[in-house]
Amino acid sequence: MAEASTAPRARHGSGLNLRLWLPLSWVTLLVVVAVFARWIAPHDPLAQDLLLERLPPFFMSGSEPGYWLGTDSLGRDVLSRMIYGAQIALFVSVIAASATCVFGSVLGMLAGYYGGWAERIISRLVDIWMAFPPVLFAVLLVAVMGTGLTSVIAAIALIDWTRFARVVRAETLVQTRMDYVDSARIGGARRASTLWTEILPNVLPTIIALLMLEMGIAIIVEAILSFVNLSISTDDPTWGSMIAEGRNAIHFAWWVLLFPLIALFFSVLSFSVLGEGLRQRFDPVLQ
Amino acid sequence: MTRTVLDIMNLTVNLPNRTRILRDVSLSLEPGEVRALVGESGAGKSMIGKAVLGILPPKVRISEGEILLDNEHLGAMTPVTRRNTVARMSALIPQDPLTALNPLRKIGPQIVDPLRRIHGWSADKARARALELLDRVHIRAPERVMASYPHELSGGMRQRILIAAAFAPSPRLIVADEPTTALDVTVQKEILKLIRELQRETGTAVLFVTHDMGVVAKISQKVTVLFAGKVMEDAPTEQVFSGAAHPYTRALINATPSSADPSRSFTPVPAQLVADLHREIAQDDHLYMTVTS
Repeated sequence: MAEASTAPRARHGSGLNLRLWLPLSWVTLLVVVAVFARWIAPHDPLAQDLLLERLPPFFMSGSEPGYWLGTDSLGRDVLSRMIYGAQIALFVSVIAASATCVFGSVLGMLAGYYGGWAERIISRLVDIWMAFPPVLFAVLLVAVMGTGLTSVIAAIALIDWTRFARVVRAETLVQTRMDYVDSARIGGARRASTLWTEILPNVLPTIIALLMLEMGIAIIVEAILSFVNLSISTDDPTWGSMIAEGRNAIHFAWWVLLFPLIALFFSVLSFSVLGEGLRQRFDPVLQ
Repeated sequence: MTRTVLDIMNLTVNLPNRTRILRDVSLSLEPGEVRALVGESGAGKSMIGKAVLGILPPKVRISEGEILLDNEHLGAMTPVTRRNTVARMSALIPQDPLTALNPLRKIGPQIVDPLRRIHGWSADKARARALELLDRVHIRAPERVMASYPHELSGGMRQRILIAAAFAPSPRLIVADEPTTALDVTVQKEILKLIRELQRETGTAVLFVTHDMGVVAKISQKVTVLFAGKVMEDAPTEQVFSGAAHPYTRALINATPSSADPSRSFTPVPAQLVADLHREIAQDDHLYMTVTS
């Protein structure tokens, strides 16, 4: 007679899943750097030294020891600014993505589960919302609310909740029609508690994947808003503002632009890949 | 008045455009009785069970008729009372054991939670009852199975778990919705035997939905034959097999291959008969639309 298999299942691939561990290491690095920025950063990110302006990175001739990735046009240390920039990027991405996720997922689940009026109102709202070009919308919102981190976070949540609402609604709809939901109802479960105990766990892997994706998007949006000078004050180091400043000197001090760009690129990529990896990890059926 | 577990009176179930899925269906079950519901796919067999259990698909409505569970009118209850009554009185053995268990929850809580809800039992008591039933459906190491996820178990095992879950709260009525269709032929027999055994031990009435006349002969005392949502015949099983009154029932029996006697020929349901029945239904529909519009 068949028995429950309790032996751990072999993961596909050998032992180490690079698609999960590579982005996870990058994100861990970001978190560590952001948390310990004060002790890791070799210089004050705001300290200007006009005698040391536009120093090249360590592997080029003319570099100065201690300034590993060179300095910008005001003589500020690029590495230190990037480290403090990670702090802001991570802060925005975590807070904004979580807010977006909660807001959008709740609406999506309500629409998908209850149908009827809830569904119609929320779906129409999503349609209307998505008709606006997102970047323009963000710029408009920040312009109205004033610059600053809070505005950036609010703008991201207000714009991107539709991404969660749409996908989570579709997934909830699929799960609501599954037989196990009927079984729970026959077993006397209340309608609201069925949504919570039966459906939510099945939608969660999708939500986690979206959350990771959204963290990447939040970093980009913050960088865009910094780039057009609508995020926090220009003195504060953000990757976006570094890219914006570096743009002017691209022909003779390319490192000011390139290093924050690389950090941005890998962060966004890592969050996206991590989302998919975590989804597979959390879904026992997919394993 | 005789005590019935389930009494369906003149049940008509509609789509929003007034297409009828069930047409004036009446049937009843006495305690300890097994009634088979047969018909081809789309005849509305499963829909009857869903109407009783209150899990009709969205937009499908009961437009006429009454359902009585233990002589209580389900239609007259508030939604909350109805849900509690259905939970206390009845259970479902579903068609597809692969989708009827929540893939992300362990087996244990999926059996234990309803018991606690329905009877207000303590966690220990509900757990003991679940273990008892899992043991009864011949699951070895029930403790370990309770701690497993559905995907770690085979289809036959999951169906046995669902049978245990259905019988655990001691319901008066169980709707078995083609419980063997999704399983291997080798497992089917065992599952059928299990349902019959438990049914006899507990005296639970079973509404057994199937399209397999062979299964009907083995398990039921009464048969209801459906065609396009309409009752064609309602008779004791023996009588149906010795000499069915309705030509469609006879055609269904003749269309069943016999494993006991493989040489016996079987014939498909004659197309002419089906066409005649459909014409009858269409006239009926025309009348219905004229009267109700």
